[in-house]
Amino acid sequence: MVNKIVLDQASMQRALTRITYEILEHNKGGQNLILVGVKTRGEYLAHRIADRLEQLEGVQIPVMAIDISDYRDDRLNQHSKLGLDEEDRVNIIDKNIVLVDDVLFTGRTTRAALDALIQIGRPKTISLAVLIDRGHRELPIRADFVGKNIPTAQNEKIQVKVKEIDEVDQVEIVH
Amino acid sequence: MYKRTTDENLKRILFLGSGETDFGLQGENDAAVYQVLPILKSQGYALFLVDDNPYSLALESADAETIVATLTVQNIKAIIKEKQIDAVFPGFAGVRGLRLWHQIISEWREEDGPRPVGLGMPDSTVSLLNHSTALFERLETAGLAMPQATIVRSQAEANELLRDLELPLLVRAHNPAQGTTRRIVKRLDDFERVVDEVLEQSLTKEAVISKAINGLKEVSLLVLRDAAGNCLQIGASEDMDPIGIHTADSLSVAPVLTISDQVLQEMRDQAFLVANILDIQGPVHVQLALNEKTNQLYLIKVSPYLDQLSNRMALLTGYPVMLVAVQLATGRLIQDVELPPSYHEKTAMMEPVMDHIVVKLPVFSFGDMAAAGVTVNRQLNSIQKSVGSALGFGRTFTEAMEKAIRAAHFNNRSFSPKYMKHVNDDELIQQLIHPQDNRVLLLLEALRRGYEVDELAELTKIDEFYFYQLKRILTIEGKVTAGQPSQDLLKEAKASGLSDGLLARFWESDFQAIRELAKQAGVTPTYKALEPSAGEFPENAHQFFATFEEENESVPVSNKTILVIGPGAFRMGDGLAAGYATSVVLSELRKLGYKTVIMNNNASDASLLPHLSDKQYLEPLEVSDVMAVVDQEQPEAIVVPGNRRKLIEALVALGQQVIVLPKEKHQPAGPEPGESEFALNLFYDGERAFPLVLTQHQQGEIRLIDQDVFDTDLSMIQLPYSGVYQLIWREDRTDWVEQIPLPDFAVDSWLRPMPYGQVAFLSKILQVSLIRLVVRSWKQGGLTNDDLEALVAHMPALRGSDFAMVSDRTDFDLHLKPEATIDSTRFEMGAKIVRLQGDDDGQG
Amino acid sequence: MERHLILEDGTVFSGQGFGAPATTFGEIIFDTATSGYQETITNPIYDGQMIVFAMPVVGADGIHAEAYESIQPKIRGMIVHDLAEVSTNRQRRMNLDRFLRQHNVPGIYQVDTRKLIRHLRETGSQKATIVDVVDDHARDQLQATVLTNKQVQNTATNKAYANPGRGFHIVVIDFGLKNGILRVLGDYDANVTVLPYTTSVDEVLTLDPDGIIFSTGPGNPEDLPESVLTLIRVLQSKVPLLGIGLGHELFALANNSALTVLPAEYHGMNHPIQEIISQEILYARQGRGYVVDPEELDTKKLFVTHRDLVDHSIQGLRHRDYPAFSVQFFPDGAPGPLEAKRVFADFFETVIDYVQKNN
Repeated sequence: MVNKIVLDQASMQRALTRITYEILEHNKGGQNLILVGVKTRGEYLAHRIADRLEQLEGVQIPVMAIDISDYRDDRLNQHSKLGLDEEDRVNIIDKNIVLVDDVLFTGRTTRAALDALIQIGRPKTISLAVLIDRGHRELPIRADFVGKNIPTAQNEKIQVKVKEIDEVDQVEIVH
Repeated sequence: MYKRTTDENLKRILFLGSGETDFGLQGENDAAVYQVLPILKSQGYALFLVDDNPYSLALESADAETIVATLTVQNIKAIIKEKQIDAVFPGFAGVRGLRLWHQIISEWREEDGPRPVGLGMPDSTVSLLNHSTALFERLETAGLAMPQATIVRSQAEANELLRDLELPLLVRAHNPAQGTTRRIVKRLDDFERVVDEVLEQSLTKEAVISKAINGLKEVSLLVLRDAAGNCLQIGASEDMDPIGIHTADSLSVAPVLTISDQVLQEMRDQAFLVANILDIQGPVHVQLALNEKTNQLYLIKVSPYLDQLSNRMALLTGYPVMLVAVQLATGRLIQDVELPPSYHEKTAMMEPVMDHIVVKLPVFSFGDMAAAGVTVNRQLNSIQKSVGSALGFGRTFTEAMEKAIRAAHFNNRSFSPKYMKHVNDDELIQQLIHPQDNRVLLLLEALRRGYEVDELAELTKIDEFYFYQLKRILTIEGKVTAGQPSQDLLKEAKASGLSDGLLARFWESDFQAIRELAKQAGVTPTYKALEPSAGEFPENAHQFFATFEEENESVPVSNKTILVIGPGAFRMGDGLAAGYATSVVLSELRKLGYKTVIMNNNASDASLLPHLSDKQYLEPLEVSDVMAVVDQEQPEAIVVPGNRRKLIEALVALGQQVIVLPKEKHQPAGPEPGESEFALNLFYDGERAFPLVLTQHQQGEIRLIDQDVFDTDLSMIQLPYSGVYQLIWREDRTDWVEQIPLPDFAVDSWLRPMPYGQVAFLSKILQVSLIRLVVRSWKQGGLTNDDLEALVAHMPALRGSDFAMVSDRTDFDLHLKPEATIDSTRFEMGAKIVRLQGDDDGQG
Repeated sequence: MERHLILEDGTVFSGQGFGAPATTFGEIIFDTATSGYQETITNPIYDGQMIVFAMPVVGADGIHAEAYESIQPKIRGMIVHDLAEVSTNRQRRMNLDRFLRQHNVPGIYQVDTRKLIRHLRETGSQKATIVDVVDDHARDQLQATVLTNKQVQNTATNKAYANPGRGFHIVVIDFGLKNGILRVLGDYDANVTVLPYTTSVDEVLTLDPDGIIFSTGPGNPEDLPESVLTLIRVLQSKVPLLGIGLGHELFALANNSALTVLPAEYHGMNHPIQEIISQEILYARQGRGYVVDPEELDTKKLFVTHRDLVDHSIQGLRHRDYPAFSVQFFPDGAPGPLEAKRVFADFFETVIDYVQKNN
């Protein structure tokens, strides 16, 4: 198995920077904004975007994490746990949500996250930010903010590594 | 983006020392440690230093708890445990420190308790740097080009490779026991022998063979990187000599003059990439080869730790490399680095720029050896032969080069147009192709004999720029010899770096006459400040060099100044100890309330550190240079090392108050095999001699004798200068004595100044700084009673009698290929302190 | 031959002449970079200026075909300490002395350039002249000279031209473009159309660009016609936009912000520039007399993305509503550090995004 680095640390940082600028462009000054990271790595990426927004605008944007590993339509499970508590549920009402994930592939993860968010609260808008869009969508889902488009083959795997848990910041293709 | 700041739990830092000095390992690490201790202490760290180098200045620092111990895993582990060390900093200990730290990491066991963190680089990098195959692979994967290298484990494998690759080939040891050496094999006959030698040097019995890239241009870059990945370039220097001659043996110049911005930026980018890959917090020295026909770059060496280039760049840019590097290692980001108030507040973050030229010239010891009857191989190649280097500062290349030559040799003898007359044309061509230590003078001679620039550039692979510059020197030389002293000619000659003494030689006059003439004509030096912004900002600079222009920026320090003449370049048998002595003199003079000015031109010892003196002149040390500074600063007195007899005489003749720091003109020879040299060491305070201790010296090793000598009558000793001296006698014996009957000193011994190396050793072992006492004795009335009592109080315990100083480790065979054994006392490169363990093996 | 430099404040510096024996007038500035003299003297932003080099030895690398930033030097004089002679041969077809002579630019060497720079550091940039003789006539001429404010007209193209490639279609509005920008666009294989700054909005939009660059250029941006600002105001809302140098200053003016003059101009490449959002530091070639006034920045429209950490000047701006941004420094690395090229990488990512969303 060969891993090829497709995004090094510097490029990954800059992709997040660009996403942040675009989020700002679409959400004036970051008001009413909540970042929701899809566990595990999406959560770390959401925090990094929040850090950047703070550097730039001096505002602290709330970050939540959502765990949809039990919630996907292809893995039926009645006892889904989202990792969101009651307070979170209230907080997202009428807010502009940016859902943050590491990789956009078939769109099933995103759909599950959308379902979950809508189910628990009533956000005003939901947009989607992904570090990597690798194509091969199976659902009509499109990211609003993309760090990097990386065309891949079906059988390849994209692995996003973040320093917090993987020791390095980089994106690899696993053949 | 990481919000990384310094770790609050990190409070107790252990610095690893770099051990004994050697080829390519002068005092730079020790000077760096000495320089950074105060600032780290002020930031609240508890500091510890372990080293076994007797000439270390840092071991005498008051800002750290210093420990004299052999640099072994076992010893360091014990120190870590006893001193509850949180962090170990190997970055100021060169490749030895890195290897030692790697061993410590690898051999750390659970029962050793929590392991301290390593500062400067992650553990993974430490391990990568100790596995060159993995390192090459990692760098290559990142797109860095390196000369293709293959590892072989036997002569047979090497021969196999030889069939695929053509000569010349570069052969070096993989994981070498000593520092790395590279050898270029041009002839088939040499191949087998070299491979054998190299396999022998490798800890893993492996050799690395690659295509030689002889003839390409070599450039060294120094960059710094912080924990967040911010990189900045401190400087770059280019070698005049092409690859094939060790960079330490080449003339080098900074800033880079003959390479385009596009290529330089590519080099910078590659250096940053290396720093990022290795995740360094601190300095990275990268050596690159440039093929100018294709603009292809090859990465030839990576040194992600402090080395000679760091200290040199600090001196020649004015950027405080060491102060910044150590703070980056503790986790500070570049914008949070703290500097002393003499720097502009943004200095750490700004890449330094130079508005002057600095030439580094290697210093060889071939002449000294020849004088002692030792013949060595003088031909320059990929193995370092120089023992030190001298710097020349100027505003043109020729000025910097002429000053470097004078700095390297203390005199202008070699400039004489007749100097090379004896070389016939065949020899000249041979030496152009196979360069020796007289490289620059030979190139000048070739031009003098009418060789064309194109021809010479082709023959030597030296950029033609240098030949045009050398031609300028010939033009000036011609004008001077043909002309009479005039204002214009004097100005032109002096601006080209010619000294009064050299002009006197050309005009068959004397130094003093030329000096007067120049003064009358108004041709006096203008001192330019050396600071990192190239004039953009007012900086409170203390470093100056002389040139001949309009504006003089130097203002006299005070009316109570002492000028100290440094020892110049690192030389064999003198070594770091001379730099140590000078530095202690400066430190003590300041303690006594004097303003101090130092003149020196060696970047590798501590004497030019900005915090040791009030002003530093980066100048050659000929009498004309010294007198120019005297005119500028009007010092009360001038401290001169005793070996500079001509300078002392000249200064005295000019009415200067000279204080001599006693030193023999040449390093004395040590005892012969089978012989012991005994010394009664004594302190002379200007009026009276005080006996200190007895020492016994056998080849390569000195020990203290546990014998009381306080009552020895030394009243017959009367000397012109205070200092530390020795009464010497020899006996045919090879046992280490416990007691020895003293001879009749008046008959059976001779007196000499104690070599600086022994002064440094005894100061550490007896825990009394002998040089400080010498300096204090210069004051009116000599030493105080307190001083004397302190001195005596340190003697009787003889706490040092279980220590020895050993100086026989230098690999002269590798570097110099001598035809006879080299006397390691007289031509000592370095020494170490070892603790004796009951028996007499002395290996600690 | 001895020649002289007279400053507007009356100070005289003397040295030896090289290059053309002409008498010229210009605004004198100093440059602290230690490499890239050829790129610097051919950069159109220096139209009408005399440059003092802090680098003491200049010319050792000759003149190279690949290091031109425009076809001819735009400067009025070059002041150095030492001029290195190199021959002209296969590798170095031209040397500095001959090059300046051919283009009628005078130079002086053997000047105490450090003294001159320390002087200019205190007095600021000013008018100066290079002459053979220092007399009242020369001084009067200097005082009477009014330096041109038509530098952009002098240097920018007045005809559209193409620099074809197979990638994205990038329109460059030329105010005195340096070649480095085209070189980088070439690296991205962009299909480039360079347009005069007098081009109308409709003409630009007809070309259907994927991105627009407002180029570097010389002089005071406030001397340019209002139509340029209109061009920016309309285009920024439609297509990804990047402003560089003068283009950055215009981007600020077009968005209701104002410029200010720094007490000392800065020309060099050793100042740290911080990208605020990531806190990363980079170094880049800078050459500037004007900067955006932080007091007069319309923060409803723009926000600051980069700052020079030495003088805190604004080095980068971004529009709040559009994919439009600008940098004061030169990101093309000719001369100068290559890490600044990331600005172009960001621009092209923005272009990709724009193209994908509009397909």
